[in-house]
Amino acid sequence: MSKLNETDVQGFVLRGYNLPVARYLFLHFEDAQRTRKLIGRLLPEVTTGQRWDGGKPDSTVNIAFTHRGLQHLDLPDVTLLSFPVEFQHGMKHRAGILGDCGVNSPDHWEKVWREDRVHAWIGVNGQTTEALEACCANIQSLIEEAGGATIVDTQDAAAVVKNGKPTTSEHFGYTDGFGNPDFIGIERSTQPGQGKLLPNGTWAPLATGELLLGYADEAGELPVAPIPHLLASNGTFMVYRKMHQNVATFRAYLDRQAELYTGGKEKLAAKFIGRWRDGTPLELSPDKPDPSIVQDPNRSTDFTYGGDGEGTRCPIGAHIRRVHPRDAFGFNGQLINRRRITRRGLPYGRFVPEGEPVSDTEERGIIFMALNASLSRQFEFVQQQWVQYGNDSHLGNDKDMLIGNHGGRGRFVVQGEASVTNPPFVCSGLPDFVELRGGDYFFLPSITALGMIVMGLVDPR
Amino acid sequence: MPNQNGSVYGLTILSPIIDDERATPSHDLQIRNYLAHLSTREESPFAQAPGTHLARLVVMDDVIYVGAPACEEHLKSKYLIFESNCDGDLDGYLSGLATSIPDHLDAVWKHCVGYPGAANHQAFVEYMKACQLETTFFFAAVNDKTVNQTLRALQTQSAVADFIASHQGADSATLQREFLEFVAHLKALPPPRPGSMGPHRDIKTGGRNE
Repeated sequence: MSKLNETDVQGFVLRGYNLPVARYLFLHFEDAQRTRKLIGRLLPEVTTGQRWDGGKPDSTVNIAFTHRGLQHLDLPDVTLLSFPVEFQHGMKHRAGILGDCGVNSPDHWEKVWREDRVHAWIGVNGQTTEALEACCANIQSLIEEAGGATIVDTQDAAAVVKNGKPTTSEHFGYTDGFGNPDFIGIERSTQPGQGKLLPNGTWAPLATGELLLGYADEAGELPVAPIPHLLASNGTFMVYRKMHQNVATFRAYLDRQAELYTGGKEKLAAKFIGRWRDGTPLELSPDKPDPSIVQDPNRSTDFTYGGDGEGTRCPIGAHIRRVHPRDAFGFNGQLINRRRITRRGLPYGRFVPEGEPVSDTEERGIIFMALNASLSRQFEFVQQQWVQYGNDSHLGNDKDMLIGNHGGRGRFVVQGEASVTNPPFVCSGLPDFVELRGGDYFFLPSITALGMIVMGLVDPR
Repeated sequence: MPNQNGSVYGLTILSPIIDDERATPSHDLQIRNYLAHLSTREESPFAQAPGTHLARLVVMDDVIYVGAPACEEHLKSKYLIFESNCDGDLDGYLSGLATSIPDHLDAVWKHCVGYPGAANHQAFVEYMKACQLETTFFFAAVNDKTVNQTLRALQTQSAVADFIASHQGADSATLQREFLEFVAHLKALPPPRPGSMGPHRDIKTGGRNE
């Protein structure tokens, strides 16, 4: 396959920016004509996938729409109705499918999500707070000048700062953001363990159509996409979920369980997720963290579960083994190649170091954003079958330890051996460590498609 | 034996549905309506009757023509398909259905051609066997245990898991004493009712777009 036209794809799709601060602006459209004009003014600001040969920019801008937003832009009905059903529904309507019930149910979401007010997401990332503020001020003045759209909510997010430096840690203390899949044609420093597993044990990039609309996917088919083709091509779908983290509950639970677990607190914390808190995969180093593995991109994601069928190194229900089972289901991993998602996102709220007083009620969590060509086949499947259920891993009704919706009744089994340092252990009475505060499904169009929307050229005939 | 996998029997029954233009709603729709409102849990007729591991009832209208180059074909009749994985001997199983859930059977099969009713057990068993097809191949998740043995095993598994979770870190003497009490208690428990072991899942599953 020839190289992608990177300048036609929004940069947010092709690369994680690794910029330390971000603000997400949520827009409500009131007037289609004026909003289209506004998008036209924003278009030159939108960051594309063009290579950053001259170094990272000070800030980036990207834009995506809910189905409701596209309706308010007066797209033709035939086009609007051609979007996949789950995108037309929106995430709130899919709560039953996603297991977003109990504390995660839409009744508990923030007002802006509860009331379906969001029509567009503008994602701004910055090198510094000053650069971020300057970029947002510019966008805000464009919005005010154009009229027709209002900012109904904003969400700040930022890399967790430790010892004055931005890190890739999240609030529970785990190093995050290791494994995103590689795709054919997308220029990126690839690393073993991030694409699909081949029968000879090596890894290869996934088909482009697992991420981008308009390209062949792993089945050799074009993903379900709206018409006309040009509107869909080089675009993708984005999941946005604001996930509150109950850090006090997490730390208290870990402390309580660690009193009974003879392998030690840090090993138990590692068993929850499948990586030591510094990021060392349990599969590669089951007894202790090993910074040399974490820092080596040729090793940090290069592992499989085939040699650990009993889960005595990495528990079968550990978070990373659930959401990316690699070869755990056999068939050289082929059962998972169509269930891969590309994660973007950053923590929000102040990080509280271990040992300092912390409360669940403080505003703190992670903005989870995932990109995929098919929301139902990729994100929704992972959420429903691998996060909120355990059957594929022969774990019955057990849910993901960390992000499952447990309601105090969850259970997580740490498989082990007959040894004091790696004993079998059962964590029961799992509380909800994470609570959903809202979000939606977005369409992230190509640069061409944005131009078509601005100029009223979307013609499904 | 093609209808048998271990001690589990794979039953396939195809009953032609009455074709009557004057019936409103049609007989096939009346079956669909009745089936749509049946419970899949403890109140399920197949939980009330003995010996069913799993059962499935489907109304088959016709062969769907999917376009060229397929050739267009049609069935002579609409059919009710009944598939069941059940314990052991077929005559005993069918008689058990006729004894335990005659009203349900009649409500469904009265829409089928030649159905004699469940009241006459022998006629019922003969009718069902006349409609039977050879299963030839089927998968049984557990093929060497009866329904009651399976339910008992699930009950034990769940109870032991709870016991382990609540006794981690206990000293040996306490552990032994409470384990013996636990085993005695578990042995005295009645087996769970069929259909009662399924979880109350608060999640929708089904077609890709539900």
